[in-house]
Amino acid sequence: MLDYTLRRLGGVLATLVLLSMFTFVLSRAIPGGPWDVGVEIPRTPEQIAMFKEKYGLDKPIWQQYLVWLRNAVTLDFGSPYMAPEMSVTQLILRQLPYSALVGGLAAALAITVGVILGMIAAARQNTWADIVINSAAVVVGTIPGFVLGFVLIYFFAAKLRWFPSGGWSDTGYKTLVLPVTAFGVPATGGVARWTRQCMVEAMSSDYVRTAYAKGVRQAGVMSRHVLRNALIPMITSFLPMFPAMMTGSVFIEHTFGIPGLGQWFVSSSFSRDYPMVLGITIFWAVLIALTYFVTDILYGVIDPRVRLTEKEG
Amino acid sequence: MTSLTGHLGAPVVEERVRHAGFWAGAWRRYRRNLLAMYGLVFVVFILIVGIFAPWLAPYSYNKVNLDHALEPPSAAYPLGTDQLGRDMLSRIMYAARPMLLVGFVTQIFAQLIGVPMGIIAGYAGGALDWIVTRLIDFFSALPWYLVVLYLVMVLRPSLENLILALTITSWVGPCRVVRGLTLSVREQDYVDAAQALGIPTRLILKNHIFPQAAPLLLWSFAVGIPTSVFAEAGLSFLGMGVRPPNPSWGMMLGEAGQWWIYRPHMFIFPGLMITLSVLAFQGLADGLRTAIDVNVNI
Repeated sequence: MLDYTLRRLGGVLATLVLLSMFTFVLSRAIPGGPWDVGVEIPRTPEQIAMFKEKYGLDKPIWQQYLVWLRNAVTLDFGSPYMAPEMSVTQLILRQLPYSALVGGLAAALAITVGVILGMIAAARQNTWADIVINSAAVVVGTIPGFVLGFVLIYFFAAKLRWFPSGGWSDTGYKTLVLPVTAFGVPATGGVARWTRQCMVEAMSSDYVRTAYAKGVRQAGVMSRHVLRNALIPMITSFLPMFPAMMTGSVFIEHTFGIPGLGQWFVSSSFSRDYPMVLGITIFWAVLIALTYFVTDILYGVIDPRVRLTEKEG
Repeated sequence: MTSLTGHLGAPVVEERVRHAGFWAGAWRRYRRNLLAMYGLVFVVFILIVGIFAPWLAPYSYNKVNLDHALEPPSAAYPLGTDQLGRDMLSRIMYAARPMLLVGFVTQIFAQLIGVPMGIIAGYAGGALDWIVTRLIDFFSALPWYLVVLYLVMVLRPSLENLILALTITSWVGPCRVVRGLTLSVREQDYVDAAQALGIPTRLILKNHIFPQAAPLLLWSFAVGIPTSVFAEAGLSFLGMGVRPPNPSWGMMLGEAGQWWIYRPHMFIFPGLMITLSVLAFQGLADGLRTAIDVNVNI
């Protein structure tokens, strides 16, 4: 188990280093830079040279990268060009709560509702309930969040005036209802379908037939035999949804005017704010990689077969 | 360390006898799927609309007419007009073009890159396979839309750069599927036999491995399209895809700005087109999946 954990951890680190190199080289390989964004009159070569010198952009790229990497190890990602009085870490931590709240609630909504619907569909396989849930899940799952956002704002903010149309104000939970719905509902479709598929697969196993044969009632078979086995693939798919959604959807944040991390990523990329873009990318990647790591370990704990095949492979 | 996403598993392809009636049987299974049939009909419909837009559209897509700005649907303008008085119906028809272009071209490129890489990596094994697997892991560890967003912004927003950025993230899917299939086909007796007979690797790949992969490729081609369509709409919505004055459904939503609350036709029609298209391509892929009996864990 320790061996397995260490190998996974090594893989996570390797991916992070690769990713930072990829983003780093890419951002600097393209002509132009932060000095020619949002300026009416092109800056003189001297001004550009000064800017480059100040931020160390005049050094060879591998030196720049090594400097960045050395600082990044101590969690120092520099200061954003656009807000030099703050550090990248401060700025990320300031904007993250908005994204995390909307995304976390949306993921919780999607998983709760989706798992319940998926389990109903699986238990009532091939009945009208199954067909209705499955078709609804497909249709709902394909609606882009921002399109749903427009529909929700139109009816529930503009017409009925139940909720604010967006932004981030002191109206408490009311601000959250529409963005969370727009973000969570499309994800619910995918969760419901995956849950149904996992349950159906587990239900067709021999041990389920055996359980029925020895007289266990359906509720017992479902909870003790089917759900337990279906949980493994479900956990591995649903756990990563939290970091993926909590880091914020650019589209949802744009539609509802939420000042989250997604919006910051877009504006930082536009203004070629290298430290900020790298900082957000790495932050996201660490979160996602860590979730995969935890999921993999959890997977190994739940299902001993994984460890065995890993060793052979 | 196999991968960050190793648990997603390699594709498991059921062994089956493929006879003359394979495609006929596939079509029979496909027809039974209502959503798939909707997808087929809608895709054909939108292809016709997109290709023949110059003949079908009642007006030009960028003829500004401020006297008729923000008009709700009427006999003259069946879907109303936008903030510059341009005909919504004509713009919606023309906007099928970037959607189809991004959807199809991206997937063609993705297959052209991903399939050879998958076949070669799966067949050769060893160091080559190790590198390709690491690349697949690397790209699957990233949220695709962030990579696309970032690439498009660094390369400057345009339709070509959107296609390029989407290609960079889309080859992973077909590559993973084909590599998994190749790994299982490679172990078959007839491949051993071909090797024993001294048939060149190139011919083994072409005559034994690739035909096995063909139906799977059809599905992997289709399954990537909804993502591309969504990406085109989303990035154009943010102002980072199709460049004005060319229309795109996503951009029409983004441009509806402060007016759409009073003129709901400005978001209803483009929003409906985006949703119907994504649903149609999704249905098409789902139908193919059951029709050709793809048994892939995704």
